[in-house]
Formats: sequence, C-alpha cells, structure tokens
Amino acid sequence: MTEDEIRKEQAIIERSKKDPQAFGELYEKYFDRIFNYILRQTDNDELTGDLCSQTFVNALNNLGKYEFRGFPFSAWLYKIAGNEVNKHYRKNKGKKIFSIEELKVRELVEQTTDTWDEELINRVIRYMNELPTDMIQVLELRFFEDKDFKEIAFILDMTESGAKMRTYRALDKLRTNFNLKVKYDG
Amino acid sequence: MGKHEIRLRRQRMAARGSDRFRNYSAVMKQHGEGKRIKLITRIFTFLFLIIALIIVLIVVSRWEKKQTDPEQKSAQKENVQNAP
Repeated sequence: MTEDEIRKEQAIIERSKKDPQAFGELYEKYFDRIFNYILRQTDNDELTGDLCSQTFVNALNNLGKYEFRGFPFSAWLYKIAGNEVNKHYRKNKGKKIFSIEELKVRELVEQTTDTWDEELINRVIRYMNELPTDMIQVLELRFFEDKDFKEIAFILDMTESGAKMRTYRALDKLRTNFNLKVKYDG
Repeated sequence: MGKHEIRLRRQRMAARGSDRFRNYSAVMKQHGEGKRIKLITRIFTFLFLIIALIIVLIVVSRWEKKQTDPEQKSAQKENVQNAP
C-alpha cells in the first residue's frame, strides 16, 4: 500500500467518524478479504456471513477509538475479525477450523520430486493438525493473506519476533519431517 | 491432536462467492440500533445515578436531623432545670 493510498484511507476514516455512510467505501474495499479470512477459519458460508457483518458493525461502532499506527486499516479489521471468530469458538466450545486451499499448499511446498503426491499433501495436512493453533494462525496470515510480520504481530497481539519464531519453527519442521523444499524463506 | 482441524479445500475461495452476504445497509441498520441502545442505556444510567444521589441526600439529611434532635431536647431539659 502506497503512502498516498494510506492518506486517502485515513481521510475516509475521518469522514466516517462523522458520517457512517462514508464507511461504505471501506466496506466495499475490504469485504471480500475479511469474508475469506473468516471463511478460512470457519468453513461455513452462513456463519462467515454473520461474523463478517458483525466485524464491520464493531468496526463502525469503535471507529472513534481507531488510531493510525502505521498499519493499513485492513489490519485493524483483521484483528476485529479474528476476535469475532475466537469469540464464536469460545462460546460454542468447538474445535477451530482452518480451511486451506489445496492450491495454496501446493504453492507453499515445492516438491523435490517431479510428481506431486496426493499422499504427501495428506501427510502435510496431518502434520499441520499437530501444530499449535497459534502457529497455524501465523502461517495462515503469512502465506494465505500475505501479511508481513509487523502486521501479523499487530493482528494477533504478539511481538514481531514471536510471529517470526513461530513461522520459522513450523517451516523448519516441514523441511526436516518431509524432506521438502519450502518455497518461502523471506 | 491439536485444538484445531485443518481441512483441505479443492475449490478456490473466490469461486464460492461472498456477494450474497454483502449488505452495507444491514450493517448501517445494526450500527444505528446499537447506537440507540447505547444512548438509552446512558440515559437510564444517568437517571439511576441521580435518583441514587437524591436518596443518599435524603438519608443523610434525616440522619443529621435525628442527631441534632436529641441534642436540642437535652438542651431544652437543661434550660428547664436551670430555670429560677
């Protein structure tokens, strides 16, 4: 996001504090991203629709408290969305779901052999099931939402070094356990 | 087994479609209702505090009156006894 885009976004936010109708522009801009982010953690369209709507209502209700901290506005929305999802799982005492696109897993893991093995994907998924939930959350934001570590730390309320450590540990395990070449190293 | 479940999705996210859930007027409506409830709660809290304050003032003034009454009575008694 360029500085000019951030400035424009801030102007919309300031306008929205006085006139909630102006917030519609940000709603349209970020709806799909927030919807998909929640959908990855619920795998249920109807529930995602409700949580997504609640996320934007909360954002609108608390817009007066919003302060620019060097992150795009979307980071704040991701944080609210994450809180809504966690609240839902706490309330229903269910197991948190991470619904991951096969294509993204294929992108993440570059095979060292020529043929892509279906069994290998299943093994990677089984391995991810064993990882701590906070590690999966960091991986999700880093690889499926393309967030940088600073933003991830803000969204998940952790330190930047904590976010990096969790990612590298998970990737190291992937490399050693599966003898795979993990695409991302940055 | 962790506290989460990883599900593999063959379908791309965009293909599922989120447009049927996109409804900003519903968000605005919910926001308006929330604002109204907040305002009503504030008014009731304010009224409750004022009523509580009035009750406390009444109780204190009555207590003070009770405290001063015996003093006045004893003073009157002394006056009567000391009268020539």
